[in-house]
Formats: sequence, C-alpha cells, structure tokens
Amino acid sequence: MTNVAEAAPVPGRNQPRARTSLRGLFAQTEIDYRLFGMLVALAVILLTFNILSGGKFFQPTNMVTLAVQASGVAIIATGMVLVIVSRNIDLSVGSVVGVIAMTYALLMTDLLPNVLGMGPDFPFRWVIALALGLGLGAAIGALQGFIIAYVGVPAFIVTLGGLLSIRGVVWYLSSGAAVSGLDKNFQLIGGGALGSIGGTLTWILAVVACFPIIALLIQGRRRRRRYGFPVRPVWAETLLGIVGCAAAIGVAAFANANLWPKGLAAKYATEHGITAPPGGLQISTGFPYPIMLLIGVTLIMTWMATRRRFGRYVFAYGGNPDAAELGGINTRWTILKTYVLMGVLCAIAAAISAARLNGATLDVGTGYELYVITAAVVGGTSFAGGIGTIPGAVLGAFVMQSLAYGLSFMGVNSPGQNVVAGIVLIVAVGLDTLNRRRGS
Amino acid sequence: MSIRKLAVVTAVAAVMLAACSSASPGASASGSAAGSAASSAAVACTVGVSWNNYQQPRWAAHDQPNIKKTVEDGGGTYIDADANLSDEQQLTDVDTLISKGANVLILLAQNQNSILPAVQKAKDAGIPVIAYDRLIEDADTLYITFNNVGVGEAEAKAILEKVPTGNYVLIKGDPGDPNAATFLPQGWDNAGLADKVASGDITLLNGPDGTFTDAWATSTAQDNMEAIIDKAVADGTDIEAILAENDSTALGVVAALTAKNYGYPPLSGQDGDPANLNNVAQGKQYVDVFKNANELGKAAGALALELCQGTAPADLTLPDGLIDASVAPTAGLSAQDFETPGKLTVSSFILQPTPLTAENLQVAVDAGQITKEDLCKGVDAATAPDACK
Amino acid sequence: MSLQQNPAVTDHPPVAGRTPLVEMRNINVAFGGVHAVRDVTIDLYAGEVVGLVGGNGAGKSTLMRVLSGARPADSGEILVDGTKVTIANPRDAKAIKIETIYQTLALADNIDAPANLFLGRELVTGLGTLDDSAMEDATRKVMGRLNPNFSRFKQPVRSLSGGQRQAVAIARAVHFNARILIMDEPTAALGPAETEQVRELIRQLKREGIGIFLISHDIHDVYDLSERISVMYHGQLVGTVNKSEVTSDEVLAMIIMGKAPGDVTEREMATLHQ
Repeated sequence: MTNVAEAAPVPGRNQPRARTSLRGLFAQTEIDYRLFGMLVALAVILLTFNILSGGKFFQPTNMVTLAVQASGVAIIATGMVLVIVSRNIDLSVGSVVGVIAMTYALLMTDLLPNVLGMGPDFPFRWVIALALGLGLGAAIGALQGFIIAYVGVPAFIVTLGGLLSIRGVVWYLSSGAAVSGLDKNFQLIGGGALGSIGGTLTWILAVVACFPIIALLIQGRRRRRRYGFPVRPVWAETLLGIVGCAAAIGVAAFANANLWPKGLAAKYATEHGITAPPGGLQISTGFPYPIMLLIGVTLIMTWMATRRRFGRYVFAYGGNPDAAELGGINTRWTILKTYVLMGVLCAIAAAISAARLNGATLDVGTGYELYVITAAVVGGTSFAGGIGTIPGAVLGAFVMQSLAYGLSFMGVNSPGQNVVAGIVLIVAVGLDTLNRRRGS
Repeated sequence: MSIRKLAVVTAVAAVMLAACSSASPGASASGSAAGSAASSAAVACTVGVSWNNYQQPRWAAHDQPNIKKTVEDGGGTYIDADANLSDEQQLTDVDTLISKGANVLILLAQNQNSILPAVQKAKDAGIPVIAYDRLIEDADTLYITFNNVGVGEAEAKAILEKVPTGNYVLIKGDPGDPNAATFLPQGWDNAGLADKVASGDITLLNGPDGTFTDAWATSTAQDNMEAIIDKAVADGTDIEAILAENDSTALGVVAALTAKNYGYPPLSGQDGDPANLNNVAQGKQYVDVFKNANELGKAAGALALELCQGTAPADLTLPDGLIDASVAPTAGLSAQDFETPGKLTVSSFILQPTPLTAENLQVAVDAGQITKEDLCKGVDAATAPDACK
Repeated sequence: MSLQQNPAVTDHPPVAGRTPLVEMRNINVAFGGVHAVRDVTIDLYAGEVVGLVGGNGAGKSTLMRVLSGARPADSGEILVDGTKVTIANPRDAKAIKIETIYQTLALADNIDAPANLFLGRELVTGLGTLDDSAMEDATRKVMGRLNPNFSRFKQPVRSLSGGQRQAVAIARAVHFNARILIMDEPTAALGPAETEQVRELIRQLKREGIGIFLISHDIHDVYDLSERISVMYHGQLVGTVNKSEVTSDEVLAMIIMGKAPGDVTEREMATLHQ
C-alpha cells in the first residue's frame, strides 16, 4: 500500500517577489509588526518625557531606576501570557508575591537563625532562603493549578480565593508588622550600585550576546535553504544582525554610563588604596541583577513558549481546547504547569521586592495582578485566548512603568498616574482590536 | 402543621424574652438581645468597638488589648468587628454591634462622612458614641485621640531644628485620608514650615503639595522616592531633609535612599513601628513620633465604662494615674471642648504624642513597643544610641 | 419479510474468508440520561467506504467518537484486523492508525498548518525542541498532493478558506498513514469544486486500501462513494445494506422511519416524498 505522503518534494519553491515599497521592505525583514510598534511607543514615551523635562529624564541613572522598578512586574507578566493564552487568569499573583516576600524576610531574620541554627555567617544562607521561596511559589502554583485543571473550578474563582486568603495569611505571619534586615547578599538581588554586575561583565555580555544573535540568523537561513523554503534577502539578514548587535552593545554602553554614587566610589578608592583621579573614581554599575534576572527569565520563557512542546500545547489549547484534547494532548497537565510557572515567577519577583525593601511589609505586591495583566494585555495578549507573546508582555510592562516613573519624575501625583494608565490600557487594546479586525 | 405551630410558639417566646430584657438602653427587638440580659445585674456594660482596618499592626498590638483589659477590669464586656477598609462594611458592623447588645460604641471611622448614618442609628437607640483616633463630625460624640495636628507639629519641629534651611522633600500618605491631607500638614505648618517656605529659607523639591502615597504603601513610597532622588540628582540639587507623614512611607523612603546610596538626610515618621525604630537607632531615620496607643486604649476603655453609667460626655474625667503623665492631655484630666474643621464643638480628650529620636529610644522599649534586641539589630557599636549601650 | 430474511440486510461478511479491518461489536454509550448508542455492531473492510447515516441524534457521531478515542464506550468491544484492541483516548486510536476528520475539523485557529498537522505528535530535534522546519517540510509534501496551490504554510489557520482548512485536516490523516479513516461530514461546508476534490480523494484512498467510515447527511454523496451503508435510528442500528442491493428510497425509509427494507409497507414508502 503506497503512502500518499511519500511523493517527491515539489521542486522549485518560489521566493516571494521582492517589493520595493517601504512596507514591502519592512515585510521582508519579517519583524513582528506589533512588537516593533510597541518599541516605537516606548521610544516615543521616553522621548516625550525627555523633552518635557529639558533633557534630564533620559539619563542612565534614571533609566536603570525605571528598569529595576519594572522588573518584578515584567517577570511575572511573562508567565501571565501563557495563563491568559490558555484561556485562564491568575488574580492571586499580588498576594503570592506578598506571602513569599514575607517568607524570605522571616526566614532570614527569624526561622533560619533561630530554628535551624543558621546564623548570619552561615554560607549561602540567602541561597537556601531563595530556594525555599521558589519551592513555596511552585507549591502554591501547583495547588491552584490542580484545583483549576483537575477539579475544574474556574480559574477566576480559584485565584480570586487565593488573592483573598493568601493576603490574610501574610498578616498572620507577621501580625501585620514590617519585618526587616535581610542578608547582605540577598539584598543585592534588588539592584543598586552594589547589586549590579559591573562594567567589565556588562561589556562581555554584550559582545557575547552578539554571537547567538548572528548564529541564530545564520542557522535559520541554513535551515530554510536546506528545505528549500523562502529566505530573507541578504540585506535584511545583515541589517537584522547589525541592529541586533548594535542594540546589545548600545544597551550595555548605556548601563555602563550609570556610575557609582560619588560617596561610594570614594569609599571604594580609599579601601582599595587607589588614588582617585580629579572628579572622583568612576566605576560603572553595568546591568543591575534584577535586569539580569529579567533577561534570563524572558529568554527562558520565550524559548519554552516557542520551541518546546509545552508552549505549543498552551497555544493550541488556547486556540481550540477541543482540538488539543482530540490531538491527544494532556491538557490538564499543561494547564497545571502554567500555574506552577506563575508561582515560581512570583517567587523571583518577590525576591526582588524584598531585596529592594531589605525586608517585607504587609502590602508588598498589592495590586500586582492588575499591573501584570495590564502589561500582558498592552503587550498583545488577548483574553479570547490563543494570542500573545512574551517579549510583548515585557515591553508592555516597560511601557506602563515608563509612564508611571515619568509622571512621578515630572511631579504628577498618583491620581494623575492612574488616569493615564487607564487611558493607555484602553487605547493599546483598542488599537490592537482595530488592527486585528482590519487584518482578518 | 405542628411544625408551624412550634415555630410560632418559639417566636412568641423569644419576643417575650426580649421584651423582658429591655432594661438596658439600646437592647434591640431581635432575639439575640436575650444574651445581654443574662449578664450580671446592675452595671452591665457591653462596649462595642468598630475597627476600620484591624489588619494594620498597631490596633491588635496596643489599642485592642488595652481597651479590652480596661473594660473587663471594670466589669464590662468587650465585643468588636472589623470593617476591612470598607465604608459599607462598617455600617453593617455597627448594626451588628448594636444588635449584639452594645451599650456604648467606640468607632474608628473609615470615612468620617459615611459613618454618620451609623452614628445617628446609635444615637436613636440611646447608645453613646466615642470617636476613637479619627474625628467624626457629630456634636454628641466623644472624641478621644492623639493630637494629630500635634503629631505633625512634633515631626516638623524636630526636623526644622535639625535642618532650619535647605531643600525639603514632602512625602504624604493616602490622598483620601484627612490625616494625610489636612491634619498632619497643618501641624507641619504650625511648626513653621509654611513660613519658612514663604520666606525662601526652605525650598520644596517635589511640589507645594508634596507626593501622596496611595494606601500609605511602602513599595509605592519607595518607587516615588526613587523618582524624586533621580530628579534631584538630575537637577543637581541636594535633598537635605525629608518630611514623611508616617512610618510605612518612611520605610519606603529609607529603602529608596539605600538603593541609591544617597545617604540619610533627616527623616520623620510616626507610629513607632519596630522596623522604623531600628532605623532610628541606625541613624537612617531621625525622628519617629510615637503615639503610645496603650494609653489611648486605656483612656477609651475607662471613658466608655463611665458613659455606660449615664455620665454626659462633657462631664467625663479620666481616672487619676490611669494614663502616663507625659501622654496625658495638656489641659488636664477633664473633658475639653474641641472645635472640629466643620465648626462643631465636641467633648474631647486629646493625648500627647512622644517624639522619639536616638536620644530617648528607651521610652519605646519601656512602653513595650519594641524589644532592645530588635531595636539594636545591626547597630554599629561605635555610633550606638544610649538605649543600645 | 422480516429483518433476518432480507438478503440485502446482512451481518455476514460480504466476501467470505476476509477479516474485517475494523469491527465494533455491541457498543453501548450512555450519558446525561440519554442512551446514545444501543448495542450497535458494525464493521469495515479494507478498501471500502461504509456510509454511516441517520437523522439528528441517531448516534452516528457518538459511535465514531468511540472509535476515534474521543469517548470510550460503556460496553462492547472493538477489533482491528481480528484482534481485540482498547481505545481509551485519541492517542490509542492514532497508535493503531485510526485517524479522524471531525466535523469541526479540530484545528487550532491561532497556529499554522504544520503545527496543526502535527498537533500532539510534534517532531522534535535531538535537544527536545520543536523541529518546525521538518514539520513544515513534511506538511509541504503532503499538501502538495492534496492541494498543490496551497502556499500559506506560516500563517495561522484561521486565515485559510474552508476548503483549505479541510485539506489540512485531511492531510493530517494522510500523512500519518491512516489505515482506518473516519470522516464526519467532510463536504458539509464546501463548494462544488472543493466537494469534488474531496470525493476524488476518497476514491483515491479507497484504491490504496484504506477503509473509511463516512458520516454524511448528503444521501447522494453516500450513494456515490459507499460500498455499504449502515443506518442508525435513535441509537440503534437499523441495518447494514449493500448499496447495490437497495434503492435510495429504501435507505431513506431506514433513516426516517427506522425500518429495514423488508419491514416497510408500500403505503409508508409513498409518504416519503410528500
């Protein structure tokens, strides 16, 4: 019995005809329109604030502050994309961040030293605390995911219950008081001059990042050639390579232009017996650790969403849950995993929050669910399911935070910030809806 | 048929029991009033407390235990409810407390306007109302509080003494809270802030109104302060003093200053939260205006019992020796008139706050606000305050 | 004449000595208080099309969902090539080379044709990541046979026409070397040209020895393509007839009245076309 599918491949697959209009040229680079649009929007916002502030806004120090402030929400947003894509929701993220931040604080100030005998000098105590926090996040996620996927209670209800009850637990943990005084090393997770990787490492990373960018382009082209698929024109590939590398190096240069505060640099100079040049010793901070965490999380999550079966199953389920079931996919296990991921991401964001505060208060993480969902939605994730990108959500988080930080910088108070945030959310999603309708 | 009859008989019996127990004022017609009648004969006094946000640490740690103990020591019964920051919930809570047989109500108004219907209900039932810590615009209530304007005065006085001229940053609390928007800033001005700004001695770096902090949240204060620091650095101005209205916002300010390695200009706060007192000991916060809520609770408990006896608010006196002298009202132990912003006159007991700096931190330890160990965590032995030596 | 005596209605194999490709024996399915499939026995031989027909709620789709693994039967057994098999889920069915083209096509609109083709059976590289290029290549090959003009391999399936989506669904079955194909209303949403394409494909697959259960409400399609026709009525099997031995009216009577050709009176036959 011959197999219909084993016929010879159709020879001479056609290249799409080159179009010379600007739109055509753009299409040939195959860049995602939406992501590009968001980058443009972000640039416009930053530029506007820069003009309004007379050039004071767009400085390395400020941009680093903005990025660190956005990092927690952006990290969680990468997971929220998968949850919303699979037609679910997670309203509990704020409370989960709160309880894990409080857990970190209690572990390092009370439980580890007093109950387990691990004093402040215990090696890698902060690693233990971090590991326990990640475990707690995964456990909470697994529990919620189980109830949603296997018992069948709607996600809205389960995570709403989580939001309420877990926030209550935070109160019980500390009788409502603030807990402070974390490990010195743990505090570095929060950024700041000491909590950054330094100038040298940043340059190295930027150069190193160039290689995978170019390698991916080359490998992608080779693959397509092998199968005879249409390839991007050479000029497009070169342009993307150059732009990619330039972006990596440019961002690194910007981060390295952020210097240690004068007082700290002077202290460092005297401690290390360096004679400071006139104007003070200039030490670059480089990328802060929260940003390194964000970059790492974004890369891993994007890889999982686009190159692993798990990601494919999440999107397929979101597009047509029946089709996924009939395809033999274990949809319940897939959904549960999305929630476990959320728990782990919340634990990472909680580490950043707790480190920044050098402790935890009752209200850590309050309102996060709204910021995270806004970031995902502004970044292109649709509540209908099946549509969304992780880089988009990260950009969405940065767009929203740039507005909040910019308005703070310009002296606009919180009611004004809330008004702007609400309008931007509606406009972003509105544009998206119109665009989709026009395209279909 | 017979079940229905049984129900009717039970209902009638309940009503009759309720009618018989209506000796104490405010016992309502619903069956549950039978409970209060069962308590001891002559001076049965049930004190009902309506909290607005019990989750905030201070209430459970200080106010509640002291009110309860004082009431129970005086032979009364203590009941309470928490409105969890909701106006509507508080109205329901007051109803519940009344129906549970409260003879006097202590109210922490979540919203001074929304609470008025509940106050009216209590008055109609003949139940005296104490406005606890937060003002209620009603001439018949008894206002027991710390001198909130005085707290602001103490905050600003300490900072202005340390930094008489220079660049100031103002950090305020939730824009919807009258303490944040009106009383504390008024105290700041009473201490001389407005004059100094007008004369140019003091420059406000973040606008004439300062920066508000939604829900008094620490992380929000931190984010706002980071932006303010960035702007100051970009402008090339130094931040020389920071007036923060309370400890939760001050904690966020300290975190921002730490993250930016900016150093610690003199900073104010109030509430005496342990984390902040520790910061004072470490030199990261300059003054923390401590309101010894233990004393406030004792006062409220004692005055509630007196109101139960039928004493009119204007005739009340605090028992001698109940309240620490440094905290007691400057005007003495009898009720004083207080003019509200709404031009009403209420009877009041206004207690004094205690500004804590590195010099007198021992007061906090003595009041049980913080242990010496927690106070002195991370304190450098060379620069330690007296309380840590 | 009774059911048993009419030679057109039979449950004996039409060709003596051959084992059926698929046999479903005494299948029962009940849910939500409805006994959707009652003690139904049908079979299918290699290289033939069995038309499965009946009115709404007759139980045809439910019966086929048992075979496709979407809903296991409450009782009864299934034999493939004479050997008993258990089909508890769609994976089991696909493992024994049963492929289904659902009425709704079971395509995820937001992902492209190759992703849909390989849904649940993705090709992975040595590192465990999706091998999108290999999947696209395989899809191009199989679609080249079914729909040579198709070029939208990277676009989400929602942007394809009805016929193109149908082609993707069929390509899925063809690529995985189905031996048993279940097609549920394959031409319902198609225009005449596309319908003819699908019909031609069915004939081609028959020639290659694949057995097909064809559910269709279009009695002409069924007549044109099937060798045998199994009729269901309110969950029960009315009978399986050889197309060559019955008229289309007799089949219609089976569908509408649930009566086998031998049990229908002339008067009842007359009411069919009123």
